[in-house]
Amino acid sequence: MAYSEKLIDHYEHPRNVGSLDKNDDNVGTGLVGAPACGDVMKLQIKVSPEGIIEDAKFKTFGCGSAIASSSLVTEWVKGKTLDEAATIKNTQIAQHLALPPVKIHCSVLAEDAIKAAISDYKAKHGTAKAAE
Amino acid sequence: MTGSGAGAPASCWSCAGPVDAALPFCPTCRAVQPPRPLDHFARLGLPVDFALNIAELDRRYFALQRQLHPDRFATKTARERAISQSQAVSLNEAYEALKDPLERAIYLLKIKGVDANPDGCHTVKDPTLLMEQMERREALMEASTPSAIEALAREAASHVSESEAAIAAAFAAGDLDGAGRETTRLKYLVKLLEEARARKARLTAERSSAA
Repeated sequence: MAYSEKLIDHYEHPRNVGSLDKNDDNVGTGLVGAPACGDVMKLQIKVSPEGIIEDAKFKTFGCGSAIASSSLVTEWVKGKTLDEAATIKNTQIAQHLALPPVKIHCSVLAEDAIKAAISDYKAKHGTAKAAE
Repeated sequence: MTGSGAGAPASCWSCAGPVDAALPFCPTCRAVQPPRPLDHFARLGLPVDFALNIAELDRRYFALQRQLHPDRFATKTARERAISQSQAVSLNEAYEALKDPLERAIYLLKIKGVDANPDGCHTVKDPTLLMEQMERREALMEASTPSAIEALAREAASHVSESEAAIAAAFAAGDLDGAGRETTRLKYLVKLLEEARARKARLTAERSSAA
């Protein structure tokens, strides 16, 4: 199977790998998994008092497409507001990385991870509303 | 093919006599029969149950494989050779699906109407399971000696056995939701165990080439 250059680049040089302090009030953590492949993905955002995502980190144990999808999402959300970040769709991720059809679920996982991180942050700040 | 499931009467392609769908040979003319749409348990003559006896599974599989192996049909007609080929394929599929506990659990859930292995847009939202797996995978990443990895692999292997026992108990109690949840957990545990073994093999190889 031929993978796109962007995908391979994110896989070989993943951006923003690591962890933020999940107990920090300004950090939202999303933890999701795909049962079909036994993958687990953690995506964290650090939000400024102005509501801007100033840092994002991820740690993914899974296939190359799952790693690339989460790496891409951490790049995309930095500098965005929570509402802007919440509009990221798996189709955009899949398109950008040219994911093959069997790997579309990896982009779904990344979308779910950012949504979960946003709702975790909102829950900490008492502004919880269902992030779909 | 009648397509109406196990035990449905069918007729032999060769002598047109009646054939039990579960039998690979015609009782009248002994001609090999095409594989009928049976579930994997029925194909191997086993009860539909998660807790199967592996020795019995092996015994039945190897007995059928001896009878149906395409080599035995080398001197038969092209049609019989083709039929024995598809019988052997169906038999192997059934055996592969049943011999591995994780595959067996997924398959059994599927024939009971629960899709434990959706490959589409479905994510696990079980924070306890995910947290536990994230921690174990991190511990595995950080383990730097073969013995440390070995300890994690042993722990994972014992969790796999516990999980298989829990799945058997859930099926025995008719608790399909519980069996489904535990099957997802087993999937993660098996993955962890595979990763641990792969990492140990890599590390051992690196050390021996460095030495």
